[in-house]
Amino acid sequence: MAQLPDGRALPGKLFIVEGIDGSGKSTQLDLLNKWLIGQGYCVAFSEWNSSPLVKETTRLGKKKRLLTPTSFSLIHAADLADRTERQILPALKAGAIVLADRYIYTAFARDVARGVSPTWVRKVYAFAVRPTVAFYFRVPLEESLRRILNGRPQLKFYEAGLDLGLSDDPQESFALFQKRILEEYEKMVDEFGLTVIDATLPLTEQQEMVREIIRPLLPGALRVQPSAWREVLAAEEVYGRYLDEVLPERSAP
Amino acid sequence: MTEIRFYGEGLAGFTRQKPLPGRLIVLEGTDGVGRSTQIALLREWVEGKGFAVQSTGLKRSELAGAGIKAAQQGHTLGLLTANLFYATDMVDRLEKVIIPALRAGFVVLTDRYIYSIIARAMVRGVNPTWIRDIFGFALVPDAVFYLHADLPHLIPRVLNARGFDYWESGMDFLPNRDYYEAFVEYQSRLLAQFEAMAEEYQFQRIDATRSIREVFQQLTTEIEKVLAGMKPADRAEEAEDS
Repeated sequence: MAQLPDGRALPGKLFIVEGIDGSGKSTQLDLLNKWLIGQGYCVAFSEWNSSPLVKETTRLGKKKRLLTPTSFSLIHAADLADRTERQILPALKAGAIVLADRYIYTAFARDVARGVSPTWVRKVYAFAVRPTVAFYFRVPLEESLRRILNGRPQLKFYEAGLDLGLSDDPQESFALFQKRILEEYEKMVDEFGLTVIDATLPLTEQQEMVREIIRPLLPGALRVQPSAWREVLAAEEVYGRYLDEVLPERSAP
Repeated sequence: MTEIRFYGEGLAGFTRQKPLPGRLIVLEGTDGVGRSTQIALLREWVEGKGFAVQSTGLKRSELAGAGIKAAQQGHTLGLLTANLFYATDMVDRLEKVIIPALRAGFVVLTDRYIYSIIARAMVRGVNPTWIRDIFGFALVPDAVFYLHADLPHLIPRVLNARGFDYWESGMDFLPNRDYYEAFVEYQSRLLAQFEAMAEEYQFQRIDATRSIREVFQQLTTEIEKVLAGMKPADRAEEAEDS
């Protein structure tokens, strides 16, 4: 179960994925999302840096390069706070499954890599719900760099960590920044009991491991009202969360 | 001299030990107590003494000012989000406006500081430790003047100025849907909160029920002491170089 910061249990489940860029975590979460929906669960999906109230400010800060390590940290905390208050917490209280692509550990890793105090950033995020399972997709630095730098030549300023002044060359800066972030993630494995998945394994194998861990935690999670047509389609192995939009007249059992 | 002291961990990347040649002066107090009038008067007075002045206040940051205002126009801004948004605004001004001005030997006059944000959060039931922890990045000012007036004095001033504001009336969390009653309730709680914080943050109390002139005179007497030993701005920069 997911837990409030004071330790009280919430009926829903919060599964989050973490890892450096190029670890393949988003792909795995997407696969998990589709699988859970196919199983009939009510799933809310929350992405890092996506709050409708806050993301414009973050975008402005990045575009005009206004962000310092501390303001970068706080604006991302505001973003998660908004998603927590309006999306994550209500869904968990309702007993639903919440999937989050990146969570507080991304902030701890990146902000500390930028020089922010590790204790301070942990205190700032004290409001966050504790996840049911936090998956950490572990990948060697060289492998992740190969995946990212092949076919994506234009790295953004903050993404490449150019604000740290490690190197003027975006690719070199990115590599040095990712190295620091990776070190922070590794420190957090024990601190927060992250569930490590070997991200060098084939995609399907990783996904099977993730499902094995999640499966026993699912009973009791909120399900979408079963409808006859969904079952018919499921029998034919056709799943889709948007089918309700196109087949409303068939949703009555 | 603004000694380099923070309320907590301080600012990432800020390593300076040497005191800043400027002065950081805060005016705090509830809605309608006359902070902005006094700052306008003080600005001219301090400039007349040969010092450069930088004035600032909540929601004036380039980064987050517009974002907070836009978020407050809707009805979806939650408590945690609002506080972190204000903290973002605060740190942006601290790093980009306040500290550079203090470094250059300016007198920085700020209309509210972290105390208003903390007081508002406290009356809304936010975890007191959490809200203080966030502001561990804030520089301890040279002086904090707490302008206080009781509600019978505040209400006519607010009505004369712009009427009751949604957030300044606590309409976002109080069960009372009547603006007047909500304002009275909210401001009473806020005043009690400021009183409770006075010692913790070493507020200098200024009785703001008196005339603008009397309040201003007391402020200048107190600020005179804060400015003692300070060099005018142009020479402060030379001092920095030496």
